[in-house]
Amino acid sequence: MASEPATPGTETAGASATAAPVRPLLTLDDIQAGYGRAAMVLRGLTIEVPPGTVVCLVGPNGAGKSTVLKVASGLLKPRSGRVLVDGTDVTGREPQQMLSAGLAHVLQGHSVFREMTVGENVLLGAYTLRDKERVAERVEFVQNLFPIVGERWKQLAGLLSGGQQKQVEFARSLMVDPKVVLLDEPSMGLDPKTTATVFEQVVRMRDAGTAVLLVEQNARRALETADIGCVLDLGRVHITGPASELLADPQLSELYLGGRPGGAA
Amino acid sequence: MNTALLFQSLVLGVLLGGLYALLAAGLTLYFGVMRVVMIAHSAFLILAAYIAWYFNQQTGWDPLFSLLITVPLFFGIGVGMQRLLITRLRPATLTMMSVLLTFAIALFIEGMIGFVWSGTQRRIQLPYSGDSINFLGASVAVVKLMAFALAALSLALLYLLMKKSRFGQALRATIQHKEAAQLVGIRTDRVAGLGFGLGLATAAIGGTALSLDATIYPSLHWHWIGPLMAIIVVGGLGSIPGTAIAAMVLGIGQSLLQVPLGTTWAQTLFYVALFATLMLRPQGFFGGRLAQRF
Repeated sequence: MASEPATPGTETAGASATAAPVRPLLTLDDIQAGYGRAAMVLRGLTIEVPPGTVVCLVGPNGAGKSTVLKVASGLLKPRSGRVLVDGTDVTGREPQQMLSAGLAHVLQGHSVFREMTVGENVLLGAYTLRDKERVAERVEFVQNLFPIVGERWKQLAGLLSGGQQKQVEFARSLMVDPKVVLLDEPSMGLDPKTTATVFEQVVRMRDAGTAVLLVEQNARRALETADIGCVLDLGRVHITGPASELLADPQLSELYLGGRPGGAA
Repeated sequence: MNTALLFQSLVLGVLLGGLYALLAAGLTLYFGVMRVVMIAHSAFLILAAYIAWYFNQQTGWDPLFSLLITVPLFFGIGVGMQRLLITRLRPATLTMMSVLLTFAIALFIEGMIGFVWSGTQRRIQLPYSGDSINFLGASVAVVKLMAFALAALSLALLYLLMKKSRFGQALRATIQHKEAAQLVGIRTDRVAGLGFGLGLATAAIGGTALSLDATIYPSLHWHWIGPLMAIIVVGGLGSIPGTAIAAMVLGIGQSLLQVPLGTTWAQTLFYVALFATLMLRPQGFFGGRLAQRF
């Protein structure tokens, strides 16, 4: 699916890296965004997420990776630029409207409702759905995708391990059957074994039909999972291309991935 | 202290603790949902008590019927206060500034009560005001029992609302993780407004319960805010079950201490408990994880 070579300096990421001219599910077009009166964090960033792909954003601290997701999910309003979901302009909408448009955001760290059961957490993911049959279908779907959810349904979510909590968050985000799931550093605070499980779940989400925009500090591990990689630097996409090619690029590996291909991440 | 007196004090302590639990429930709700320290809560309690007294004076009906007016009225005022005033405060300094803002509101309510009904002390006289019933040898005033029943019923309804309703789920989610709640589609600003309204609705019920058995005057709320604040700190700020437990423990403690120490010194129990909590366990004895549970 990702066949073109990496293109250093390119400002458009995602769709440009795919061979087929498919309409992206999510487009962030020339986004400028920042917090309060502080300097701009994103400076003309453009990213596209095609259907059926995992697009991964990597980059140094402060590059604006998490800010990209906040703009996409409506937690942060961009100062200029457009956010398109499946071709529809949703720029500046509230998080609830972004959710209805098809974007679900899983926050950095742990964001389960700790003093609610796993079941309550997952059902809150369907807070905007009124159709009970549809909710029941989605519960069955996420329980199949993440068996731990069904097994621990009545337990308090705060008592689960870090990796299990992350799966509950994934399940919660899938309850509305989103077009794109935005994952912010899903491996944060997890041991290597649990991280591997979490990335397996990311692939399962994609294979189940949901595109994923993934932000990750663990760049090498994330690019091994992703179809398309984008390197962010100073608030814009610096390099983009098929994830496998980014991983194989020695210069890129030295600069952004912490060593040569195959070396320590 | 003989056994009969001890039992009498214990029974009265339980009744008092139940009332305290309701009076403090709203206070901890504001803090749990919005990190707002609502100094004016007790002023609203006294306002509700005055409305109950005035209602009784004008109609001759039982003051409990005034709840039909005060509960929706206070709920509306609460929603309006949160949407028009609290949301104007900067999030970074919200807790501190809310003390100043609600202090001003408390002064305004006190002044308004004095202006409308004068500073004269008021007390509701009901046909059953002097009645008492015998409970296993302890004499229990009917008005105290009614206030306790009202408190218990209200807290049970609050519990069901928080546990079973869609709104309660949204409120609990907002308390536990506001950003995650927004991302599942909960309009947290709207929920916070309704939560504030719910807190003030409990003040309407608590004030009416208080009016059954208390002499009221405009500045009475200053007498109440200290003990109520102590209860929510001991219970763990934001914890409704913690508040209920602390209210019951302190209510019973106060009642038991009244016999050997007298009413004035018994009241200091709240402040001793407050200081001890701040020194030994600043997050409250039932705070931490329990602070987010209902």
